[in-house]
Amino acid sequence: MNESGPGDAYLWIAILLITLSALLTRSGLLVWGTGLKFRPLVQSALRYAPACALAAILVPDLVFVDQHLWLAPDNPRLIAGVASCLIFGFFRSMIGSLIGGMTVYWLLSYFL
Amino acid sequence: MQREAYWRGVRELLPAAPGVFAWGLVTGVAMVKSGLSIEYALIMTFLAYAGSAQLAALPLLVTVAPLWVVALTAIAVNLRFVVYSAAMLPHLRHLKPSARLGLGYLIGDIGFAKFSALLEREPDYPHRVAYFAGGASCNWVLWQASSVIGILAATAIPLEWGLALAGTLVLIPLLVPFCRDRPALGGVCVASIVAVVGHDWPLRLGLVAGILAGMLTALSLERLTARERAP
Repeated sequence: MNESGPGDAYLWIAILLITLSALLTRSGLLVWGTGLKFRPLVQSALRYAPACALAAILVPDLVFVDQHLWLAPDNPRLIAGVASCLIFGFFRSMIGSLIGGMTVYWLLSYFL
Repeated sequence: MQREAYWRGVRELLPAAPGVFAWGLVTGVAMVKSGLSIEYALIMTFLAYAGSAQLAALPLLVTVAPLWVVALTAIAVNLRFVVYSAAMLPHLRHLKPSARLGLGYLIGDIGFAKFSALLEREPDYPHRVAYFAGGASCNWVLWQASSVIGILAATAIPLEWGLALAGTLVLIPLLVPFCRDRPALGGVCVASIVAVVGHDWPLRLGLVAGILAGMLTALSLERLTARERAP
């Protein structure tokens, strides 16, 4: 670290704050919220949390390349994602879909 | 039986291992390449264990941004974990506070997805907590090991091979089993669109907005379908 960069005290406090934030968001409700009873409506909505969360992480990662939206059939990341999806659909193999998707990506990046 | 469920959790997470590993490597490399020293990168990965929050905080740390901005950013990027922990709360309510704290620390995208997928298949599985602990602690080990390698060997790991993509692609087989009916599919579509539209929003708020919008959509579709079927 050079002199104009962050000092030790700053970095320690910053890292502790990030740790606290991560603990608060993950464990806060579990530790202090045990008295909460969710209404059936909320419980039904929470059942869709994993599907929606995975999609909201996954899809932007495939269509944004270097922070630019690339929503076209020549985007290698997007094609790799579709290929991965198809392979998993047909063969139900997690490793297969990962290797297949990466292979498609490498081939496309090499030839396009 | 608890032990068996724990190892079942480990076993069922392992197919995702290459993706977790690739993503940990990328995060480790990114921390060092952004200018953080090896010592602080190691401290951060072991304490925080929050990949996306760490990556979001890096540019702030390097430019010595105000500490409240760092904290706010970390909380915002981690907001999806509040949703995850709400979904897990009914299953952990009976445990000791220390166990709830520890299991909360282990919550991550993949561990939560595997836990939820188990409950879809076997809603009454008695050792679900041990199953989660197995998968999530396996994820922790994989993540920390790969992060440490990424931090120590930052200059030797070529990011241009698209390693980060492996971390993304591994989410696909996790997502597919949840897309079993119309409400879920509708929720997935809306969550994706909102997350893409909100990609450039500050504090990565597009992500949590996408999740909530998707959940609301799925819930509405579920209610509509139920009404159609009713006599």
